[in-house]
Amino acid sequence: MMKYPGNQITLIQYIFIITGTQVGIGILTLPRLVAEGAGTDGWISILLGWLLAVTASLVIIQVMRKNPTDTLFTILRKYFGRWLGGAVSLAWILYAAFAVLTVIYSFINIINTWLLPETRSYIIMFFFAYPIYLVAAHGIRVVGRYSEFIFFFTFWMPVLLSIPVREGKFVYLLPLLKEGIQPVLMTAKSTILSFLGFELAMIWYPFLRNKKAAAKGIIIANTISLVVFLHVTLVCFVYFSPDEITNYIWPTLNIVKPIQIPFLERFEIMFLSFYLFVISTTVIPYLFTSVYGTSLVFGLKGHQNPLRIFLVVLIILTYFLSVEYKQVEALSQWWGNIGFVYAYIFPVLLLIYSFIFSRLKGRKKL
Amino acid sequence: MKFFSYLKRGKNSLRSNKQAAQLLQDKISKDLNYNLTIIEKLFTKTPDLIIRRFYLNQTGQPAALVYIEGLTDKLAINEHILYPLMHEDNFGKNTGEPAAAIGRTKKAVLWNDIVNYLLMGYSVLLIDGRESAVLYDTQGWPQRAIEEPQTESTIKGAHQGFIETSKQNIALIRRYIPNRELKMKEFIVGRRSKTLVTMLYLADVAHPEVLKEMEKRIQRLDVDSIINTGELAEFIEDNSFSIFPQFQISERPDAVASHILQGRCALVVDVSPGVLVGPMTFTSFFQTVDDYSTRWISASFLRSLRFLSLFIALFLPSLYIAQVSFHYELLPLNLIMSVGESRVKVPLPPIVEAFMMEIFLEMLRESGLRLPTPIGQAVGIVGGIVIGQAAVQAGIVSNIMVIVVSLTAIASFIIPSMDMSAAIRLLRFPIMVLSALLGMLGIVLGMMAIIAHIISLESLKTPYGAPFAPLKVSDFRDTIIRFPLWSIDKRPFTARPVQRKKLNWKGKNKKSK
Repeated sequence: MMKYPGNQITLIQYIFIITGTQVGIGILTLPRLVAEGAGTDGWISILLGWLLAVTASLVIIQVMRKNPTDTLFTILRKYFGRWLGGAVSLAWILYAAFAVLTVIYSFINIINTWLLPETRSYIIMFFFAYPIYLVAAHGIRVVGRYSEFIFFFTFWMPVLLSIPVREGKFVYLLPLLKEGIQPVLMTAKSTILSFLGFELAMIWYPFLRNKKAAAKGIIIANTISLVVFLHVTLVCFVYFSPDEITNYIWPTLNIVKPIQIPFLERFEIMFLSFYLFVISTTVIPYLFTSVYGTSLVFGLKGHQNPLRIFLVVLIILTYFLSVEYKQVEALSQWWGNIGFVYAYIFPVLLLIYSFIFSRLKGRKKL
Repeated sequence: MKFFSYLKRGKNSLRSNKQAAQLLQDKISKDLNYNLTIIEKLFTKTPDLIIRRFYLNQTGQPAALVYIEGLTDKLAINEHILYPLMHEDNFGKNTGEPAAAIGRTKKAVLWNDIVNYLLMGYSVLLIDGRESAVLYDTQGWPQRAIEEPQTESTIKGAHQGFIETSKQNIALIRRYIPNRELKMKEFIVGRRSKTLVTMLYLADVAHPEVLKEMEKRIQRLDVDSIINTGELAEFIEDNSFSIFPQFQISERPDAVASHILQGRCALVVDVSPGVLVGPMTFTSFFQTVDDYSTRWISASFLRSLRFLSLFIALFLPSLYIAQVSFHYELLPLNLIMSVGESRVKVPLPPIVEAFMMEIFLEMLRESGLRLPTPIGQAVGIVGGIVIGQAAVQAGIVSNIMVIVVSLTAIASFIIPSMDMSAAIRLLRFPIMVLSALLGMLGIVLGMMAIIAHIISLESLKTPYGAPFAPLKVSDFRDTIIRFPLWSIDKRPFTARPVQRKKLNWKGKNKKSK
């Protein structure tokens, strides 16, 4: 049973890897996206999005429970054979790589807008590559420890966001469902991007020490993310007027602006810099998935070499390719759409197939 | 070749090392004179080797006592070996052995053993007609008295420190742990130095995996010599490319004893006053023995102060650089005015200014360290006050920079472990470069790299970042804040003890009726 000795993660690490992956760039734009769709009722859409994510998560756990010692990539090979399984695995590797790219480009874009307008993006990428290499190269255990630590290390950030509530007006939230239930339902779609990240449970599951708690853990992880999303969104809704909020591209950052400490005038500089930690816990799991998958699919000895190559490619890419905000938005929209297929539809299909597969196998045995 | 060998080793020496090696595998002969010529051949040009020939009083056999002067206790040799053998008749009645009044004696047959023990300070008794030699433990070399270690002084703790003899050091530790379960394992490390390394641990507390790992690493060593514990640490640590110390090297018996009691294992190196303790974690370098002897509230305050000073020592100069060169809007207007005013005259970019001052400070520290105390103080005054003040007036550095530099210096002095303090002082330079390149974001990137490194580091396969990552809530009672001692009822997870519970407390100190 011990397929990965010495490389296991605890339940807490499992929860925080998933939460860390979910809370990333999505949260910066989430209040605007839901406000555009459903006005100040947008927070209900987040609840719906959470319901969807939890359902999909439970489906994933169901699939994984059938193969407790396999990661997604070995399952795919088992189910679909070498070539088809390899092709689907490759699609997953590309998806994870795409996620890394999107998150990094989004963050660099934000940094260029808010903090360092002159700095070239490859410089940021170059210095960012070292810490994420250190974490990802040491495997799943260190990824788990890192996410665990960063969760507590950045815990003050969402808490701090509640300061502007003092000047907020709760009337903005009323009346509930002022435009009916339809827009709220439709808007749930735009929360998909924010909740993406639980699909990587397909990678973490076999490493989890206490597998019985996997379902509980993934629900807790989704719920922590939900609390953070709801908190930030509600603070934005209360602080900004319903019309104002859609004018800001990143309302979550605008909410930091009014925060002032006697010895710090512009607090968002600190906030945004520390936001890099939050970003890193999104980037590292996807990065790890991508390079770990590569090493499995191509039968490499370790995932360090693909990791090095990937990071060098990223630095080169950021050197030659810089993107505008419009393109970043397009990237994250694509990611949302593709992610819907990968995280919500794919597990359901896989679950159905796994039923058929075990049936077929059972028959063969007879 | 022969001529050179003659020059180097002396006239009667053996031709080559190979010949000597062959001889060392042989047994000694019955003939005393033959044996003594062999000893003379093996130890040419060794004036401190003493060969005392005499006749045994009882039997009249010719005998010889061989020892190295300086490594041996002269009094013991004269009064307890030579005198009884030369003038008394107590040649062991039942055993037939020469009965010198020495506690620890051994018998040896091989030349190799005899030579090794001779070099360790034993005296060798050779008797004509016997095919074995008797070795007497007459070790006694110049050593200093036990005094308080200078690098780890304490206010309330014990004022004893280790010295350079491992037997004494082990005794000092044993005074704190008079327990049968305190086990020791001896290793000889170094082909030439043959340093005795003793591993101490509590057999029923320490984790067998940790002990096995430590043992494996020591046995794997094949080096010429180990002069200092620091050398040993570098050979057996997990990651020698890390800037952080992965073992604690302490000169305090009470500190080492408390580590052993937590379940860690200690290595006593014979020639060095430093005792190595492992496995360690990052946070354990911010604790001292004094923390447990002062009241828990003030101890907790001091500990949090140390962690705060960690951040100041690492990031304050870079925060200054980031603020001045990137985020001038970060500070409120009044503050930025005073910072700006002091920088008006300074022609250098902030990174150059900061680097100059920080490197100057490191020089000052290092030069004061090697000088005798009165001169060292003078250097401090000249460097700190005169140059600091003069540099500001000359307009080379700003006032604020001088404040920043002195704050970082003070903060780095608070960190109790010398190794850790050195690591942190060094780490602030790359962070300064990062902050000059990317401002606040650069500082955060540096912080992230440090965190990532600490988390991925292991000491004897035990996570270095614990109890933060992996999270061990029970260890937080004794990390940043030290809870009252009765509430720390378990040994820390980070020492990986097998037996976790260490005390039973039922709250009995309340007024009993």
